Amino acid sequence: MSSSLISNPVTNTDLTKRRKKKKAQLKQQLEEQNHIKWKSPAQQQIYSSKLHQALARVNLRSSASAAGDAPRRGKAVREAADRVLAVTAKGKTRWSRAILTNRLKLKFRKHKRQRITAAAAGPARSKKPRVSVLRLKGKSLPAVQRKVRFLGRLVPGCRKQPMPVILEEAIDYISALEMQVRAMSTLADLLSGSTASGGSSSSSAPPS
Amino acid sequence: MEQTTGGLPGSSLAIREQDKSALESIQFNQEIQGIMDPPPENASSFTALLELPPPQAVELLHSPDCGGAAASSASAKSLCQINNQKPYLLHSFSGNLSFPANAALIERAAKFSVFAGVNSNPEDSNVVGRNSGVNLDKVKNEPPESDSNPSPMQGCVSDPTVENSNQRAAKRKEREKKVKGCSKKSKGAADEASGEAEKLPYVHVRARRGQATDSHSLAERARREKINARMKLLQELVPGCNKISGTALVLDEIINHVQSLQRQVEFLSMKLAVVNPRIDFNLDSILATDGASLMECNFPSTVAPLMWPEIPVNGNRQQYQQQWQVDAIHQPAWGREEGNHNFITPDNSFLSYDSSANSATLHSNQLKMEL
Repeated sequence: MSSSLISNPVTNTDLTKRRKKKKAQLKQQLEEQNHIKWKSPAQQQIYSSKLHQALARVNLRSSASAAGDAPRRGKAVREAADRVLAVTAKGKTRWSRAILTNRLKLKFRKHKRQRITAAAAGPARSKKPRVSVLRLKGKSLPAVQRKVRFLGRLVPGCRKQPMPVILEEAIDYISALEMQVRAMSTLADLLSGSTASGGSSSSSAPPS
Repeated sequence: MEQTTGGLPGSSLAIREQDKSALESIQFNQEIQGIMDPPPENASSFTALLELPPPQAVELLHSPDCGGAAASSASAKSLCQINNQKPYLLHSFSGNLSFPANAALIERAAKFSVFAGVNSNPEDSNVVGRNSGVNLDKVKNEPPESDSNPSPMQGCVSDPTVENSNQRAAKRKEREKKVKGCSKKSKGAADEASGEAEKLPYVHVRARRGQATDSHSLAERARREKINARMKLLQELVPGCNKISGTALVLDEIINHVQSLQRQVEFLSMKLAVVNPRIDFNLDSILATDGASLMECNFPSTVAPLMWPEIPVNGNRQQYQQQWQVDAIHQPAWGREEGNHNFITPDNSFLSYDSSANSATLHSNQLKMEL
């Protein structure tokens, strides 16, 4: 009797374990769809924690180099946030890889671009109106295609990709951006709320 | 008959002529009967065909052409034994391959669901013989229709066999599509025939009813369906796009949404930049108070991602692909710790946070050294 009683809970736990494993597998399969993965709170927490550390580093860097406060710091924060987002994406999408590789390219090409743009600005401006008028009729006809190309320019790293690739990247990018906005807004509220309430001693104020 | 009656009155010569004519008449009669009998015998043969399952019947019709399956030939032989006129008729079939009275057939096709392969393959239904009258036509029209009638019930199984016997070089896809392309004319409701585009890496697309079967158009259709599927996903993602019809307007909404999201990120980053200088002061207090709410589950994940700041320390000039490799190594660590976060008590979390804070300052010192 006792053995059967003992064995029953054992089998019950086995069954529940199997069910949990199956549920976990199903959840994993669901979460493999990237754009759904961005909605999960776990992802948001991962992102916000990483962003926190990145912001700390940005602070140290900017304080060390004494940058002009509002614009440069804002840009630095923005770039840090984008990089953290790309890292959270684990490099499976084109835009995440493009964000991470862009910083390297920009660093090297910054000086070259300044020289080239200064030289090419003159003749390019005179050519622009002619080219645009001619190209209006040629390219504006497939309106859908034109808009998809524009969307490709908005999503980082998708300028020269074909249409279905751009659409797929846009799906993931939009969900990632939404997650980023949510995480950053909660972080900002936390920080601003804590600073508003004083923040020295332990205050039991819940986050707004 | 008139000849016999005409031949009766006559002279001796006429008698001979009568005899001759009688003989001739008898021969004529025999011939006429020979000709006249086939229709009902044909009818019997065709009814015999009708009793047979359609593919076999069709194969019987085509047996003179291809000398088809053994079963068909055996059954043909059996029928030949029954009906001596049969081989004559079969040969007559092989002779003439014209298919008259399309109008009559179409009228009958309108009654049946699928009239497959007839119009495109006049050679298939070798129905008409040279000496056939209208009765023969009607009689012979029935079996192909009866063949075609159960064919959609069988899921167009017989149709490939029909066309297989004649067009063996045709590919399987093209055959099915020809069948379905020719069914365009009929007004049935064979929805079973309409297939869906399968989403495989290669283009395994089945053409739907009334659509072109070109390889180019197939590829285009597959491409369009891929794009349409992704547009649907985007529509679901972006709020307010479900009511809009038309790809261009939906794309406008998507572009607006992306731009608004990017602007929000910029605004929030400016806000964070303002609030940021006080991060170092507030870290302990914030995380002490709100750790239970927000950051508790982050602690196990904070430990592992601390490796991440180390990576740029190694050298910014190195390829970021190495970063991915390192991240790939740390991914199982993330996975493990994400699963274990339930087991970490708050005390351990604080301890780990303190260690992380210390290591963060260490890393910051290293960064300063590098800069």
